[in-house]
Amino acid sequence: MDGSTYSRGLEAPKRKPLLDHRQRSRLTAWVLGTLTVLFLLYQWLPIFTLSLLSFSGPTGGTTFPMNGVSLHWYRELWDASIMNDFKPPLGRSFVLALACAVTVCILSVASAQAMRGRFRGHNLFFYLILLGIMAPGLLVGFGFALLCRILGIETAWNTTAYLVHVSWALPFGFLTMLAIFNRFDPKLEEAALTLGANRWTAFRRITLPIVMPGVIGSLLFGFSLSYDEFARSMFTTGADITLPLAVMAQLDRQLTPELYAIGAATTFTSLLAIIGCSFALWGLRRAR
Amino acid sequence: MSTIRARSPAAYWLALPATLWMMAAVVVPVGMIVWVSFWGGRAFSPDSPLTFDNYNRFFANRTYLGLVLETLRHTATMMAICGVLGYAIAYFLVVKVRSARWRTVLFLAFVIPFWTSALIRAIAWVPFLGVNGVINQMLLATGLAEKPVEVFLYSRTGISMAQVSLYTLMASGPVVYMLAQIPPALREAAMTLKAPPVTVFRRVIFPLTLPGVVIGQVLVFLNVMADFATVQTIGGNKIALLPNLVINFYEGAQHRAAAVVAVLLMLCMLAGVAAALRVVDIRRLGAT
Repeated sequence: MDGSTYSRGLEAPKRKPLLDHRQRSRLTAWVLGTLTVLFLLYQWLPIFTLSLLSFSGPTGGTTFPMNGVSLHWYRELWDASIMNDFKPPLGRSFVLALACAVTVCILSVASAQAMRGRFRGHNLFFYLILLGIMAPGLLVGFGFALLCRILGIETAWNTTAYLVHVSWALPFGFLTMLAIFNRFDPKLEEAALTLGANRWTAFRRITLPIVMPGVIGSLLFGFSLSYDEFARSMFTTGADITLPLAVMAQLDRQLTPELYAIGAATTFTSLLAIIGCSFALWGLRRAR
Repeated sequence: MSTIRARSPAAYWLALPATLWMMAAVVVPVGMIVWVSFWGGRAFSPDSPLTFDNYNRFFANRTYLGLVLETLRHTATMMAICGVLGYAIAYFLVVKVRSARWRTVLFLAFVIPFWTSALIRAIAWVPFLGVNGVINQMLLATGLAEKPVEVFLYSRTGISMAQVSLYTLMASGPVVYMLAQIPPALREAAMTLKAPPVTVFRRVIFPLTLPGVVIGQVLVFLNVMADFATVQTIGGNKIALLPNLVINFYEGAQHRAAAVVAVLLMLCMLAGVAAALRVVDIRRLGAT
């Protein structure tokens, strides 16, 4: 290049660096790549170990060696004693998560659509919803428990816990919907409206199908965040507990491979939910 | 023209349910904590006189003050580790990975655990950390240690190890988002102007990702400050941080003391968020 010859004429000849730019760039890539892979291993290894140990034999302990391979601890989980029967909590968690998912989905779509209306105070509204992410479960749960005591409300998994779970998952669904609406082209709606559709029809027939990925995303957030919630549930669930609470209670009593079995099972359920939603998204993209 | 008119009454009606929900489930409960923390007397009743006694009692206790400092120190450590790791991983995924397919695979491997239970992921560390745990077995097998190291389970080290795996994603996610928004032309321009790669990173790339870094740090800060579940799972009853104090007081029916600790936690968090907002204007994020 012209520039380089020019500058070479002015400066004293520089010593060649040990590695040129491209080599150095490749070196950084390798270092960062190794770090990333190591971290991913670090992140996944405990989950794999937990799943592996859940298949240990009847005499298997809570760490290696496994003492045989069996479904003993899953069977134990299935015909559980009254003390640690995980089935009712599992059922409650599942129903609660479903209800939470549907509510979060509807509220997120409504709130994001409202944000598009740029009503007075929409900035304040945005922060109010974001507060749900910022406020930690410990404070929200504890505060809600105090509120219930003051008002004399009995806490239960299907009333108070439901209310609090939705407030936790709503911001995630809301942000997902906002992101989708940001990329949405209002001209499409405009076309429908010009062609004589009323606002509701245009929204239902044009807007909603286009933002469907966000709707599915908010369903997933609503389900998984409620299904896994511990801190908020701890204060607002009452006597009939949900699954994470049952897991923690069992951990306080004794750590057994049974706990690993339930852990592996719930993780697997969560993975299924994610895969299901991914397939739904993929199907949507294919259909278009 | 769109399916919602600017400043139309419809926008208010759409925003109303979410507003009421967040007020009832987040804002009012948090207000309750502040109120209860000033209650005098002994009975749990809203008629209690308001005093500073509860705060005086807390600050008179040296152990509690030490706990505040320890919690802050632990949180700062986590922010540093998760921040550096998270940035490195984000940079690798967005900048260094060229193939879109590999980027998706690695990114999914990174993100998916977020949709599974944090409680289960914390429990999954238990078989790793014990005296007979996986880490010790590996250390013994490779001859790196001659007898089992006891510092992992029921220790701050173990808690930190688990929390790094839980919260690095939170430090990384916003950085990924910001990095992906930087147009490649910007880097090329800087390179054409003969800036060495380190300078390009320091003067161009890093300042552009700073909002992401700060938001990530805020998320890690808020989550670690309030994470009592991991501390309880891995630390057993031997280690306690500020959030565990809230639980202990709550379970001992000392609501006023629990409220005082919760208010202190809240003040620390507000201070942290305020400091972060001085560095970046979160509202401008959407515009970039």
